[in-house]
Amino acid sequence: MAKLKLEHVTKRYDDQGETVTAVDDMNLDIDHGEFICFVGPSGCGKSTTMETVAGLTIPTEGKVYIGDRDVTNLPPKDRGIAMVFQNIALFPHMDVYDNISFGLRLRDYPTDEIDRRVERAADIVQLEGMLGRMPEEMSGGQRQRVAIARAIVREPDVFLMDEPLANLDAKLKVHMRTELQRLHKELDTTIIYVTHDQEEAMTLSDRIAVLNSGSLQQIAPPLTCYNEPDNLFVAGFIGSPSMNFVEGTVESDAIVTKNFSLAFDPASVDGVGVGDSVTIGIRPEDIYPGGLRGEIADHSALIDARTDILEPMGDEIFAYMLLGEGETSMSQEQASSDQLLVSIDPDSDITEDEDVQVVIDRGNVHLFDTASGEALTHTLEAAWSGDEVTESEAESDD
Amino acid sequence: MSAETGRESRRSGVLVDAMRWMENLSDTQYAYLLLIPVFVLLGVVALYPLLRTFELSLYATSLDLTSRGFVGIDNYVQLFTGGKNRFLPGGTTFLPQNLSLDAMLNSALVVTIIFAVVSVAFETLIGLGQALILDQDFYGRRWIRAAIIIPWAVPIVIQGMIFFLMFNSNVGFATPPLADLGLLAPTNTLNDTASATFIIIVADIWKTSAFMALLILAGLQSIDRGLYDVAKVAGASKWQQFKLITFPLILPTIGVAVLFRSVQAMRIYGIIDTVSSCTVVPSLSCMVVATFNTRVGTSAAIAFVTAAIIGAAVMGLIVWQGEDAI
Amino acid sequence: MATATDNDNEGPLTRWVQSAIQNPEKVYRALFYVAMVFFLVTTLFPFYWLLVLAVTPSGRLLSGSFLPTIDLFGVSATFPLPVPKGFNPAAFVSVFEQVPFHLYMLNSFALAVTTTVIVIVVASLAGYVFGRLRFPGRAVLMLGILAVSYFPPAAFVIPLFQVFAGNAPITIPFTDFPLFTPPRLLNTPGSMVLPFSALFMPLSIFILTTFYGQIPDGLEDAARVEGTTRLGALFRVIMPLSAPGVATAAVLTFIAVYNEYFFSSIMATSTEAAKWSPIVGGILSYQTQYTTQYNLMAAASIVGVLPVVILVIVAQERIVSGLTSGALKE
Repeated sequence: MAKLKLEHVTKRYDDQGETVTAVDDMNLDIDHGEFICFVGPSGCGKSTTMETVAGLTIPTEGKVYIGDRDVTNLPPKDRGIAMVFQNIALFPHMDVYDNISFGLRLRDYPTDEIDRRVERAADIVQLEGMLGRMPEEMSGGQRQRVAIARAIVREPDVFLMDEPLANLDAKLKVHMRTELQRLHKELDTTIIYVTHDQEEAMTLSDRIAVLNSGSLQQIAPPLTCYNEPDNLFVAGFIGSPSMNFVEGTVESDAIVTKNFSLAFDPASVDGVGVGDSVTIGIRPEDIYPGGLRGEIADHSALIDARTDILEPMGDEIFAYMLLGEGETSMSQEQASSDQLLVSIDPDSDITEDEDVQVVIDRGNVHLFDTASGEALTHTLEAAWSGDEVTESEAESDD
Repeated sequence: MSAETGRESRRSGVLVDAMRWMENLSDTQYAYLLLIPVFVLLGVVALYPLLRTFELSLYATSLDLTSRGFVGIDNYVQLFTGGKNRFLPGGTTFLPQNLSLDAMLNSALVVTIIFAVVSVAFETLIGLGQALILDQDFYGRRWIRAAIIIPWAVPIVIQGMIFFLMFNSNVGFATPPLADLGLLAPTNTLNDTASATFIIIVADIWKTSAFMALLILAGLQSIDRGLYDVAKVAGASKWQQFKLITFPLILPTIGVAVLFRSVQAMRIYGIIDTVSSCTVVPSLSCMVVATFNTRVGTSAAIAFVTAAIIGAAVMGLIVWQGEDAI
Repeated sequence: MATATDNDNEGPLTRWVQSAIQNPEKVYRALFYVAMVFFLVTTLFPFYWLLVLAVTPSGRLLSGSFLPTIDLFGVSATFPLPVPKGFNPAAFVSVFEQVPFHLYMLNSFALAVTTTVIVIVVASLAGYVFGRLRFPGRAVLMLGILAVSYFPPAAFVIPLFQVFAGNAPITIPFTDFPLFTPPRLLNTPGSMVLPFSALFMPLSIFILTTFYGQIPDGLEDAARVEGTTRLGALFRVIMPLSAPGVATAAVLTFIAVYNEYFFSSIMATSTEAAKWSPIVGGILSYQTQYTTQYNLMAAASIVGVLPVVILVIVAQERIVSGLTSGALKE
């Protein structure tokens, strides 16, 4: 079984006298057949981590195991891996057949074996009848299929894919995403997939590894990352549009923010005390217009707001709402405590610059330690206040 | 474990170990490993001889190296004070004895510099003209271009032969007309220092203008054609377009080309040896070749001075042209 | 040409001048053709002269002038272009009989091909290093290699000649400490191929550095993941993809060696073809041994120049574009 294991992998570069740590003490344990996405903003170390697995980069410290072999110091060709590259990297001087069979020919496979494997791979990626073409005669999607077929024929222990869809147009991207899922089912191989697109990561992977500044933030199944992010970074990175963050202070019976407060019993969460600075995280879909509060088991008190910008998406409307005296903001990413992004039912007749009231689904409120960014809880237990006691826990457990 | 990993493990041995060792070198180690062949070659054929030449130039002459005596910079001192002139072939001197034209043309140093300056100046002008022609679009450009650059590819010995045959006293048809104009000596032309120098400069211009044209053409072709449309719209004449766009943009290229050619021109030897002889037209390289079998110390000193002059010329041109000439 | 009917009574030149004044484009066009013809005549005329000499029968070489006097309406004048005095192409045959000129050419070919192969292989390694790897000392080393190309061959020739003569041990410079006594290399290919390789290496390194540097990193990574070593990726992917650059470097090196005079004339101490003397020796043996057979000298020159003429015609695009992209950047 080809498991993959990274132990304390660290990569430092010397950049004009300054030491840059691209990967910082990375530990990963990946099972056979898993589809793992490395996701994170550019420069987070996801590509470098993959390169240490591929052998294109030798880690400064730490070890890489594929199966039971320590491959840390093996050249790429001896690791039993195949890779699909962001820029597709087909050899422009070879036709499709020669590109796909390149690795096999280097390893002196018998011709009939090569033919058999190339045909099967071409079949899987639906490239039949194109084996004689040159890369420049093909479309972007076709080239990407050739690159994937080139990886398939090797029957590798581990597939590495470095943003393979990044250079394709949006429509083709969605299509190829489905193809990759089908492929994974068919091949039953470990796949490591690097992307900066969290949506791709969510839809494709068994587990997502979220990276930032060279270190692993969380590795978990997509929905766990979504529903129970380990820290502020994961919470903000996973999910589109991003989670709302509001800074507040813990008091004896509530979390008080600049514009509203949420009833809260500090004793219900370990490690929280009165006076702590916390950050409340609420996803846009967990905020509702005040009129709908009857449908929510455990909702907050009504919060006064004014609609600012509306972005109708068809299946929902993104409403930017200003709290208190908040000024109209030009920036969507603004971390201001005066702004909330709310996802609203498309049939509602909400207009811009309208005074409204909203409620928050307490069952899906995330609480983070502002200083460390670590998650404290992913649901607010009902406090002894006037709010109705509900089964909020049952709701948020999945 | 996949089939492939099984396949890998079947290969083993020293070669695999060596390959693996190479693959795991850092970029820096790998870079220096791959540069070993270049270093060895340049070390053996360039660096070692260079140091050795300098060493030899510090010793009194003795061919067999058994009785060599260290003389320090005496060889250089004598070279510049005229003490070595008696070892040079013909009536050649290293520095000119006086400021007359004859004395100048008898001085290896002056002849080399005259040759370099005059030939490079003409080659640059003619090369620029040729490049401007070749940069145009016209029918049959391919053939015209080939015709114009062919002289550059002609072996030096054949170039020499051509001009030898042109000005040879027996069959050379070109001597009488030019002698009538007073440019050449009417008889024994190739053994007349002034005439032979003139012919050799012409021969070099014929061959090497083409090379200049090639270099300048390369610069011309990298100019953005859109600039000329802008100029035309602005009402610039052809001459103004050349003066305001073409020339400033190819000036750096011309600088590099002049630098490169000057360095080569200072090495002049083969064409002299074929057309005339080193005793008639004494260049610095000529002097090295003429003396290295009998007067090693003198020869080495001349060789080293030649290298130093070229180095100085390179530095001078770089300073004059600015940084971008490198 | 004429722009108005009232110009009818004027001569064609006047009319041309008038239209030219109205349309300066015409003047440039005319200047262009005049200059082109001038350059064509000056570059090609020497070859014509070789042809004139080569086909002139040897018996008539020394009699009379190559510039015939012609009778022009009763006035005699000297025709300004040399013409053959008779026609006898036999010189093109005897040029191979008097001395084995084909053997000299073969020697030159062998030397040029060997040097080119060595230069391309070694310069490829260096081009890969300088074009694709970042490492301390890169700039200094490139400058050092450039500096080598600026030194005159004369600065290398004395020690090289002594070493290749093989009768004295090589000592470490500035000491008497002997390293080893080299074999005698004079009159062998080694004594020429070695200096040629060092002399022409820098240009190829700079050309290949530019070309290899332009190959995307992904292709090299892909090759390595697929199963090549780093060196394997160079020879299987980077070099084939840089074929135009490699071809340029090869053509320039070949021409440079074929044209070389300095080491060719010194290291081949004898002008015998059997002792690896290249065409320099072949041509010079006509000049020194058959001092009045000018038609043979001319014929030998034509034969000797043919290979490079063909090479230039075939490869001119590569030479120009290779110089554009490579050599000038350094």
